[in-house]
Amino acid sequence: MREINLDPRTKLLLLVLCVLCTMFAPSLTYELILVGLVGAVGVMSGKYRYAIMGVAAYGVIYGITQFTIYELSGTWQAILAAFFGLVNKVYPCGFLAGFMVSTTKTGEFMAALQRIRMPNQIVIPFAVMLRYLPVVREDWHYIKDAMRMRDIAPSVKNILFHPVMTVECLYVPLMTAASNTADELSIASVTRGIENPGPRSSLVEIRFSAKDVVAVLVFLGYFAAGLLRRRGVV
Amino acid sequence: MSRQSRENQKGLTVKDLVTTGIFTALLFITMLLGGIIFAPNPVLTFYQPLGSALLGGPVLMLLIAKVPKRGPIAIVGILIGIVWFATGMHWAMDIGYMLGGILGELIAGSKKYKSKVLNIIAYICISLGATGSYICFFVDRENWCSYMLEGGTAASYIDTMNATAANWMLAVILLGTIVIAALSGFVGTKLLKKQFEKAGITA
Repeated sequence: MREINLDPRTKLLLLVLCVLCTMFAPSLTYELILVGLVGAVGVMSGKYRYAIMGVAAYGVIYGITQFTIYELSGTWQAILAAFFGLVNKVYPCGFLAGFMVSTTKTGEFMAALQRIRMPNQIVIPFAVMLRYLPVVREDWHYIKDAMRMRDIAPSVKNILFHPVMTVECLYVPLMTAASNTADELSIASVTRGIENPGPRSSLVEIRFSAKDVVAVLVFLGYFAAGLLRRRGVV
Repeated sequence: MSRQSRENQKGLTVKDLVTTGIFTALLFITMLLGGIIFAPNPVLTFYQPLGSALLGGPVLMLLIAKVPKRGPIAIVGILIGIVWFATGMHWAMDIGYMLGGILGELIAGSKKYKSKVLNIIAYICISLGATGSYICFFVDRENWCSYMLEGGTAASYIDTMNATAANWMLAVILLGTIVIAALSGFVGTKLLKKQFEKAGITA
C-alpha cells in the first residue's frame, strides 16, 4: 500500500479533535477504539511498527486500568486510578502527536502555520526553537567535557557538596552560548530575507485533498458519537 | 545589530524574536528535565509542576533582561503551550501555559520589566501553567475517573478517591510550585547580577 501523507493542517485539526474526544470520552472502551483509529492513521502514513507497538502498549495500559478499578482497593486504587485517569486522557493524543511529528517536516509545519495566519511574532520564535532544541544537547556535551577538565563534573556528589559552584558552571556557559547563537542566527536570517514583508513562499506545497476530508470526517463523526453516548442518547 | 534590522510594528526586532525562540527552547528543556522524574511515576505525578519549575528561573530572567519589551514572556508561554499541545499533553496544561505567559507579561510589563520581584512573579505565573491539568482533576474529581467505570456501580471507589486525594494536595501543588518557582527566579536574578551583567550580555 502506498503511504498517504496528510496535509499538516489536517494533522493539527485531527489533534484538536482527538483532544476533544478524550475530553468527553464516555467510557474506556471508547478510548480503546480511539487509539485503534489513531493506529489506523499511523498504518496509512506508513509507520507500521510504531502503530502496532502503540496499540499494543495501550492494550497493556487498558488492562492495568481495568485491574486497578475492579481488583484493587484503598489507597493504591486511589493513587493509581488518578494516575491512569491522566494517562488514558493523554495517551491517544500523544500517540497521534507521535505520527504527526515523525511524518511532518519542519518546513511543512512552518508553511502550515503561515497558512493559518499565525502572526510572525509566533512563527519566527517557533521555527528558531525547533531548530535550537538539538543544539542544546550538543552544547551540553561540550560543557560537560570542559567541566570534567576542571574537576567540576556535574556528578551527584558535586551537586550535593558544591551546589552553587556546579549550577553556575552549568548555567553560565549554556546561556552565554545561547545568547551568542541568538546574535549569529538573527544576522543570518536577516541576510536571508526574513524581514521581507511579502507573503512567505514555501518549497513544499501544501493543499487539502479528499483524503484529508475523509480523515477529518471520521474523527468528527467519532467525536459526535462520543457526545451522544455521553448524553445517553445512543 | 538592532539598529540595522528594521523594526516591525510591535517594536520587536527579528533579533528579539530569535532570542525569544532560543530561550524558549532552553526553558522547555529545563521543564522537561525537571518534570521527567515525576511525570511517569504514579505516586509523584501530582508534583510534576514543582519539578518543572525548579530549573527554569535563570533562563527566563536572562531573557527578560535581554529583551525588556512587551511580548517575549507572552510568546514564551504561548510557544510552550503549543509544543505541549503538539506532543499530546493534557489540554488544561497547554492553556495554562498560554494564560500564565500572558498574565506574566502584564505583571512584569507594569514596571517596564525593571522590577526583579515582578519578573520573578512572571516566572511563577508561567510555572503555574503546569498545574492546569491537576486543577482540572480536583475540580471535577468524580468525572475524571467515572468514565473508566463504564457505568458500573462503585460508590466505595469514589469514596476512596475523595478520602485519599484530599484537597490539601491541590494546595501543596499550588503553593509548592509558587515557592520553588520563586526560589528558581531568585537564583536567576543573583546569577544575572553576578555573571551576565558584568559580561555585558544583558541589553
